[in-house]
Amino acid sequence: MSYSKEHLAYLKAIRRHDRAVRLVQALVLFLFLGLWELGARLGWFDVFILSCPSRVLAAIGRLWGEGSLLTHVSVTLYETVMGFLLGTALGIILAVILWWLPFANEVMDPYLVVLNALPKIALGPVLIVWIGAGMGSIIVMAVLVSLVVTTVTVLSGFTAAAREKQFLMRTLGASKGQTFMKVVLPAGIPHMMSALKISVGMSWVGVIVGEYLVSKSGLGYLIVYGGQVFKLDLVMASVVILCLLAALMYGGVALLEKQFRK
Amino acid sequence: MDGALLRLEHVTLYYHTPQGETEALRDLSFSVRKGEFVAVVGPSGCGKTTMLSLIMGLNRPSSGQVVFPQGPCPMGYMLQRDNLLEWRTLEKNAILGLEVQHKLNEKTKAKTLALLKKYGLGDFLSHHPSQLSGGMRQKAALIRTLALEPELLLLDEPFSALDYQTRLTLADEVFSIIKAEGKTALLVTHDIGEAVSMADRVLVFSDRPATLKREIVLAYPRDMTPLARRETPTFQEHFAAIWKELKQ
Repeated sequence: MSYSKEHLAYLKAIRRHDRAVRLVQALVLFLFLGLWELGARLGWFDVFILSCPSRVLAAIGRLWGEGSLLTHVSVTLYETVMGFLLGTALGIILAVILWWLPFANEVMDPYLVVLNALPKIALGPVLIVWIGAGMGSIIVMAVLVSLVVTTVTVLSGFTAAAREKQFLMRTLGASKGQTFMKVVLPAGIPHMMSALKISVGMSWVGVIVGEYLVSKSGLGYLIVYGGQVFKLDLVMASVVILCLLAALMYGGVALLEKQFRK
Repeated sequence: MDGALLRLEHVTLYYHTPQGETEALRDLSFSVRKGEFVAVVGPSGCGKTTMLSLIMGLNRPSSGQVVFPQGPCPMGYMLQRDNLLEWRTLEKNAILGLEVQHKLNEKTKAKTLALLKKYGLGDFLSHHPSQLSGGMRQKAALIRTLALEPELLLLDEPFSALDYQTRLTLADEVFSIIKAEGKTALLVTHDIGEAVSMADRVLVFSDRPATLKREIVLAYPRDMTPLARRETPTFQEHFAAIWKELKQ
């Protein structure tokens, strides 16, 4: 297929624009890291308090050398993935039940609103007493943080989705189960996907807070420990790793969404 | 009345909301004969749709009754919007009703496919609804209904979401499909032209509570298509009569 000159110029302009955006994005990061490092080298601020990129890298290298980097990362990752999967699965199941039973839905409504508004983190001490100071509490915390928001998002998708299509199913003589499987569930997939995206971030919040409260390993533990003994290099290093992991996991979910959109 | 497929006898319906009750239909009596095309016109919101869900059995009248003198009558409902499921192909959409009623087998599927092909959708079987025009989508919705082999078709403003040109051509097509398949139809609309061009008989409803104001038997030569009817002086006369009736 051959395009007109004007169209080729248009395509080129789009490509140039995209390249420019990406270039500036990289530049911002580079400038930020560069200034940070430069400031540290020139003594504009106290490295002890603000750390700097080279020291962060060194801290990561040290963790790697000690062989503990992988342990901390895998502990946190495991907790987050578990919290995310359980929170999402339970949230969706709960949403299905509430869609199915409108009476229960109405009864539960104020409770869901309050639970949604409540900072679940406040329940941390309670969880520790109930479940014990260990990984269990951390995972439950992650589940709690992601569960309610998943339920609320998916449920609103179910109830709003395709009211008229549900009526159509009635005119075709469909049972409630058929209406759910053929209309409500597929129509709710976009909502489930956005719930997934929210819940993946929420699980990280739950896990890190959980690790702040009770843990002997994990990135949250490293951050708290680093803060207590004033090893800001360690804190920054953990935050950087956390950034990368969170971005990776979000990217995975986004990819999944793209697959479903097809 | 002989040959009546459907009869409404003194049907009254109240609509209840916490704010109060509204009388939607008042003492409605009429019947639809087998093979007839009846149109109901009335102002928007006069309770026409309510009447259809009553006939469909999704609602009960407050008093009076809906009778099917020839025994239970399989019905199909066509809505204002096609409501095709975006995640299904055209073919899968057309067999949705069969699937739901566990009637999907080689024979019924072949029949539905034949309908799709016969009415010009054969080249689009694996297309998704978003790839089709509004007219094609609404035609697919009609075939989804026809796949269940209903005797009586309830058409709830099936063309009002379409642009004018599509509306005219699709009315023509739907008319010939209904005639060709030998179905009885009850069309509800606020578009006088649509009613007068498609029906054998028009029932004029009043504003809420809907009562039957007037019944007009349309005198066209047999099998004259809606587009051709619009060209006749008879169309103009009927149109004017109903217009006057509705304005009062």
